[in-house]
Amino acid sequence: MLEIKCPYCGKRSQNEFSYGGDATVKRPDLEKEVSDKEWDDFLYYRKNPRGEHSELWHHVAGCRQWFKVLRSTITHEIFKTVKMNEEL
Amino acid sequence: MTAISPLQSIHKKSLFGDHHKKNEDDLLHIKEIKNLYIIQIVFYKNSQIKLDNIKIQNLEIPLHNLQVSSNANTRILWNGPNTWLVVSKKEDIMQSIKETCDDENFAVTDISHSRAIIQIKGPQAKEVLKKGSPLNFNDFNKNTCAGSVFHGINIVIDCIDDQSNTLLSTDSFNLLTLRSFGESLYHHITDASLEFGYLGT
Repeated sequence: MLEIKCPYCGKRSQNEFSYGGDATVKRPDLEKEVSDKEWDDFLYYRKNPRGEHSELWHHVAGCRQWFKVLRSTITHEIFKTVKMNEEL
Repeated sequence: MTAISPLQSIHKKSLFGDHHKKNEDDLLHIKEIKNLYIIQIVFYKNSQIKLDNIKIQNLEIPLHNLQVSSNANTRILWNGPNTWLVVSKKEDIMQSIKETCDDENFAVTDISHSRAIIQIKGPQAKEVLKKGSPLNFNDFNKNTCAGSVFHGINIVIDCIDDQSNTLLSTDSFNLLTLRSFGESLYHHITDASLEFGYLGT
């Protein structure tokens, strides 16, 4: 069980959170012409790093805010959590 | 406000669990809190006004997590950044909120009928909550609130009292959940209370 520090509420149990995927994925710009490969990459392809991973988490049972988490996929250690408008 | 309460058909007023030869004061007291006004206030992201000066029935809006502003009739719970729950007995609470929270800067929604509220009071109230919620209750004192889970059900826990004396501390909590989860939460809470004995009031 992880203990995750919500930037708004402080340390809480993982039970209160929901995982939201890779935080580095960016949707292609709306006005831009998008190739099939770019769209495929955005929809389906994800990195699977061994080590530090930037993630989105949602404090679904608490303040209901999304935030970013830098976590090790090897040890599950959480190095840093920041608000959505901040950089990891 | 009178309405059909969420727990009307299941809440029973009697003694349950391990209550034999115990003083009533040592038992847990569980009851449904009815006919409260619950108003959600959300401050718009792009609004420029300062929140320091906003008061609802002379209560300041709490600006940090876990905080509650309260008087005898009304409690304002911090429910997230720029989000609050106002829980009140006052019939004119909506009017009071609208006087200070204007439409241009706040979304004000009456959610009174969409929540069930269970009150649990007694020396072992925290022990019961610890069985289903991962929240750290060590620093959870009077006028503290938090959103959390109880056996997977999303709840808001509001500590309304923590009378401490040398022998026992009697804590009182209001547990708010979505109306449709009310019965399930009630069964979880009462099941967890059986070992201490409880009085449905």
